[in-house]
Amino acid sequence: MKKRGYRVLTAPDGEAGLKIIRAEHPDVVITDIMMPKIDGRTLCEMINGLEDDRPLLTIVMTCRISHDERIWVEAMTDTIFMEKPFSPSLLVDSVENYFSRPQVNRC
Amino acid sequence: MKLNRISIIMLILCLAGLSLFTHALVNNEQRRTKQQILAKGNYLTSLIALYPIRDFSLERRDFFLRTLNEYTSPEGLVYFYVHDQQGQSLLSLAPDNLAARIPADIQSKSLYTMAFTQQQFHPQGFDHTIYEFAKPVFENGQKTGTVRLGLKLEPAVLFSMERVQLVGMVLFFVAAGLGLFYYGIINSLKPLSHLNQNLKRVCWDPEAVAGEEVPAVGITPVISNLEGSLGQVQDRLGRIEAQNTQMAARIGAVTFEKNQILNILDSIHFGIIIADHQNRVIHINGYMLKLLKRSRQEIIDRPAGETIENETLRTALAGMDDIGPSPTGKTVEAVYPELAPGEVFQALFSFLTDQDGLSIGKMIQIKNITGEKIAESAKGDFIASVSHELLTPLTNIKSYSELLMDDEVTDAEMQKEFYNIINEETNRLSHLVQNLLNISKMEMGNLTLNKGTVRTDWFVKDCIATVEGSAREKNITIEKDLPDIFPSIIADKELLRTAIINIMGNAVKYTPENGRIRFAIAEQDKTVLFEIEDSGYGISQEDLPHIFDKFFRSGDHHITEQKGSGLGLATTSEIVQLHEGAIDVHSQIGSGTRFTVRIPKEEYRIAES
Repeated sequence: MKKRGYRVLTAPDGEAGLKIIRAEHPDVVITDIMMPKIDGRTLCEMINGLEDDRPLLTIVMTCRISHDERIWVEAMTDTIFMEKPFSPSLLVDSVENYFSRPQVNRC
Repeated sequence: MKLNRISIIMLILCLAGLSLFTHALVNNEQRRTKQQILAKGNYLTSLIALYPIRDFSLERRDFFLRTLNEYTSPEGLVYFYVHDQQGQSLLSLAPDNLAARIPADIQSKSLYTMAFTQQQFHPQGFDHTIYEFAKPVFENGQKTGTVRLGLKLEPAVLFSMERVQLVGMVLFFVAAGLGLFYYGIINSLKPLSHLNQNLKRVCWDPEAVAGEEVPAVGITPVISNLEGSLGQVQDRLGRIEAQNTQMAARIGAVTFEKNQILNILDSIHFGIIIADHQNRVIHINGYMLKLLKRSRQEIIDRPAGETIENETLRTALAGMDDIGPSPTGKTVEAVYPELAPGEVFQALFSFLTDQDGLSIGKMIQIKNITGEKIAESAKGDFIASVSHELLTPLTNIKSYSELLMDDEVTDAEMQKEFYNIINEETNRLSHLVQNLLNISKMEMGNLTLNKGTVRTDWFVKDCIATVEGSAREKNITIEKDLPDIFPSIIADKELLRTAIINIMGNAVKYTPENGRIRFAIAEQDKTVLFEIEDSGYGISQEDLPHIFDKFFRSGDHHITEQKGSGLGLATTSEIVQLHEGAIDVHSQIGSGTRFTVRIPKEEYRIAES
């Protein structure tokens, strides 16, 4: 991501991640689901609740998309899934493709 | 023939009785007559002897003769003499001329008697006994003469008119009584005949005809028929009694079997409700009564819909009739939030059928599936957790590998860091896979120990080295409490290593930064102790009993924050048990945790070649 010119900020857990989101207002958030302190689903719901300066895209990394996960992700705005394992280039391409489209679609 | 013989015997007995009666009657009559004679003789002699001798002259002779005639009969009087003092006869009356036949001693005694004398004798040629009565005549104190009277027994009259009348009267009453008796018997035969008919009907005698009167043919046949019928009734009652006994035994056996079945139903660990076609409860077992907190009496014969106390189940029950019988029945999940909060039940609705396949009622089986749900959820969580645990390091390995392969990273230090990350993630994956394999083998009973001598000094170094890196990242100090002489044990080195590293890995994971972990090893009573103590978050008393359960993870946020599959301690526990060892844990929230693993020492024998 850095090589492609993105500024990348990292956080060890969901709580730290939320702080960074509120402080730095990133354009893209890439999150796991199983994390210490605040898990990925809770983080997504909190992101969804942000009114101003919310990320343009949230990518949720998951082992295998389940029906429950699909339902709650579809309830989020500007949120997509990415199944593990995935290659880093796929991740970057997904971000760039998302922003290159005229209208952002949910996967 | 029998009857005639009895009649002859009866006749003989009657004749014998009659002759005995007659003999007794005659004897009685003679005795009575004798007493009369004696009394008469005594009286007459005494009476006549009161008169003076001179009265026996011719003028008074008729008087005495009249007196004699009045008191005696011609058949009874034998003789009458009045003698003077010299023995000359003054008055004599002897119809039979027996004077010469009177024995001299009798006569002499009578003539010379000074008081009343009574004698009897039997003269020759005379058929009767003569009773002589003699009494002296006294005048002025001097005996002046003797009165002698001779009497004999008058013939006994058995059948006098009076007696005949009496006998006739008796015979009349006897005949009348017999007649009435016979009439009574005849009259009683009719109800006896009816009774006979009814008894035959009771005994199912084909000869008995309903409503037909059987004429009384005689006392003996009726009585004998009655006897036969009573015998048949007795047989019939005996058979009925035997049948009743068999029936009672069968009922007893059926009741026993029914009670056995009810006991079995009550001992089953799920609920059973059986209802009839009108949906009324005909049986409910103990499990269900306990769940509903009701008594059997409150529920039996009540509508099943009322009994179930659950809307979902009530709807399913109502829908059974629409669906009809099916081989598998209908399954519905339900909860009882007030009666069994937090529990989940599965109800199976089915029809009960008989041997011909016809429906005879409905059955509802209610099973508590809370455990299964938890297990299912735990398995789901486990799969999600394992998937995450497997795929996350794979993602990292893939990502960092691709970056390295694409020459995205040129900095040597960064490259080294990426290789380290790949190595650590690979180790993490390997450890997880090993745990999964071990658990799987344990589940299937295929895990076998590959025992050998384990040098505990190398073993300790190896274990500590495995977790040192993770500990260093959190600035956790690992203290070693090691003996001067390291004991050796016979164990499966790899499995034991997995067991100890699981504990040490947890210690690192659940100890906050700047914490402390103490690793100790000691020998005690032919046992080697491995002790791992940390200054971590500790385990609650509620969670302590479950920490060795498969897939268990505490709900404490310190635990859920960390990655884990819930298999580490379960694997450790199984491995220790396979080594016939023991594992203890002491912990307190906020004060850390201490695990003590005891592995018994074994004698190592070298196999003879």
